[in-house]
Amino acid sequence: MSVLKLEHVSYRYAGTDKTILNDLNYTFEKGRVYSIVGRSGAGKTTLLSLLSGLAAPTDGKIYLEDKDINKIDKYEYRSKYVGVIFQSFNLLPKLTAMENVILSMDIAGKEYGDKKAHAMELLKKVSLGEEEASRRILKLSGGQQQRVAIARALSYNPEILLADEPTGNLDGETQAEIVKIFRQLAHEEGKCIILVTHSPEVAEASDIVYCL
Amino acid sequence: MYILRNALRSILQSKGRNILIGIIVLVIALSSCVALSIRQAAEHARENSMENLEVTAQITVNRQAMMSGQQDKESMKQAMANMEGLSIDDMKQYADNSHVKGFYYTASTSFNAGDGLEAVDTTGTADSESEDSSDKETPGQGMEGVGMPGDTVQSGQQEQKKDMGGRMGVQGDFTVTGYSSDEAMISFINGTSSIIDGSMFAENDVEMNCVVSEELAAYNQLSVGDTITLANPNNEEETYQFTISGIYKDETSSDSAGSMMSAFSAAFDSANQIYTSYANLQDVVARSEESAAVTTDGTTGVESTTALRSQENGTYTFASVDEYQVFKEETEAELGDYYTVTSADVSSYEQSLQPLENLSRYAGYFLVIILGIGGVILIVMNLFNIRERKYEIGVLAAIGMKKWKIAVQFILELLCVTFAAIIIGAGAGTAVSVPVTNQLLAQQIESTQQSRQQQTDNFGRGAGGTPEMGGTPEAGDTPDAGQSDYISQISSATDITVVLQLIGIGIILTIISGCAAVISILRYEPLRILSNRE
Repeated sequence: MSVLKLEHVSYRYAGTDKTILNDLNYTFEKGRVYSIVGRSGAGKTTLLSLLSGLAAPTDGKIYLEDKDINKIDKYEYRSKYVGVIFQSFNLLPKLTAMENVILSMDIAGKEYGDKKAHAMELLKKVSLGEEEASRRILKLSGGQQQRVAIARALSYNPEILLADEPTGNLDGETQAEIVKIFRQLAHEEGKCIILVTHSPEVAEASDIVYCL
Repeated sequence: MYILRNALRSILQSKGRNILIGIIVLVIALSSCVALSIRQAAEHARENSMENLEVTAQITVNRQAMMSGQQDKESMKQAMANMEGLSIDDMKQYADNSHVKGFYYTASTSFNAGDGLEAVDTTGTADSESEDSSDKETPGQGMEGVGMPGDTVQSGQQEQKKDMGGRMGVQGDFTVTGYSSDEAMISFINGTSSIIDGSMFAENDVEMNCVVSEELAAYNQLSVGDTITLANPNNEEETYQFTISGIYKDETSSDSAGSMMSAFSAAFDSANQIYTSYANLQDVVARSEESAAVTTDGTTGVESTTALRSQENGTYTFASVDEYQVFKEETEAELGDYYTVTSADVSSYEQSLQPLENLSRYAGYFLVIILGIGGVILIVMNLFNIRERKYEIGVLAAIGMKKWKIAVQFILELLCVTFAAIIIGAGAGTAVSVPVTNQLLAQQIESTQQSRQQQTDNFGRGAGGTPEMGGTPEAGDTPDAGQSDYISQISSATDITVVLQLIGIGIILTIISGCAAVISILRYEPLRILSNRE
């Protein structure tokens, strides 16, 4: 069953005639890892912005299950239904890894009982220990920040996980670990993972690849 | 709840920025606290003193109203001649008004010196001159009388005397004033006069006891228990004897109350003021009327008498200004246009508040300027703050935090910093407001006094002239006119009202400067912020 569906989606930058995305018709299902690949400037990140509700298509519609996401509150959509892992992570540098994850839970407004324990559980899932959890973001390496970003995206247990170049800054070993995490989340927890990537390894590890 | 937690965390994480905002708010709060405290002190001083102010008032003839109804000078003169002041009995009727707290009255009569007594005289007019004047003047014209030195009722009395055109007969060398009660002897109550030997006569004394001035006693070698003889200026054969029960010292005599008038007649000299009970003086006047000779001028047909004439004045006291206002309204409505109820106390007190009120007004301007400048600085700082934290706003919005919640967090941060600064500012303001206010007040009083002194130096009188010169008696004019008893000290200034006002200012400043932040936040698009950063 499709969890996200694009119907004739196009996107043009405001004030220009330049069409970035043209008549896309994609379907995304739970339990699978999707890769969106394409040359630079093909509109991969723009597509991810449309899927995350940060931008709206100029034509066509995007459905979350059967609901047009334009009719869902964008903030609620981003804080409950989709988890977004940004290319530059977009973590709050003055907070610790743990605080970043807990803040995301707070914004989602879900009850978890012991938020700290839940956050630690998520951080452990992405191979971060207590010591790293208590460090401020700027004191963590790029790979560690990437993991914190994944943990934050998972913090409110969304059905869909969107990741922009999730392995772009990582070495081969760490990249493999991250991809493994995504596959586990899709295949073991039934999440829909959509990755925007340049990496052939990541694309290869995906279940379905869309090429722009 | 997490918004507040975030706000507090953010404050702690950005100490430098928040300390800077705090210092600015602290300066605003401290300045505002002092300014508000000054205003509050002025308001309190007015309210408290008005509440505690015992107002005195007189019913006087409204000469202006009387003159305005006449066509020419002759008809004015006729109207004034026909117009009589209220008698003590009439005044007593109005004293029954429920708003009146008390009523006292005085009578003044002019006498010449009897056997062995000589008036203190720096004019050369005593005795013989008085006799001369009695030859020239028709009874019923002449001396207007002088009340007790230092007596604030004086202005009212003189007003009435002027109104009535002189009703004390021929001018003598002494003025004997009879008082209905101790309450009426204001100069002895306020301390400008005091008994230095013997004692004051009883309130309703009928034993012809009196008190004389220290100077008169020294001049005539009089002592307590001696008897003095006073004569009717219209009939030197008609004499009355008073026993000295006490000798008083008049603190104002050296700077000569009515000094200008005392240059014309010994009766105006404060040394020649003799005080007795109203009952004694009324008895003397009654006896004089019984033995008086009445003659009619063959040419003019004007009837004249040798009887002693007295000038009577009644004074009402009120517990508050409100009571006075009601009485004034009711009594003037009843008496008609030609009488008016006047009180020097209210306007006198308002004058004493003048420096504090001036300071309060300046404090108001200062407050507006401080708030204006402070508000602008805070708005600018907040705009910079928002620009600096644009990325944070973008991230929060991108992970699903609604913009209004972000705005609330920012406003909460500002509120916390503002309130902390206001609490410190209010504390510091409370500590410094009293000395600062008193210091500023002292400067204001000095400035006001210098201005008045300048006027006195240049004109030889205060604004509007002195009553002796026929000028309008200023409210609060005392014999030492020009030396107003200004409120020069406040003991407390900052109270709960000031604190609440400060909190209100804090909220308003936060809202105004927060609005700038809110507008900026609402305008930001998270995608654009994050894209630009990337």
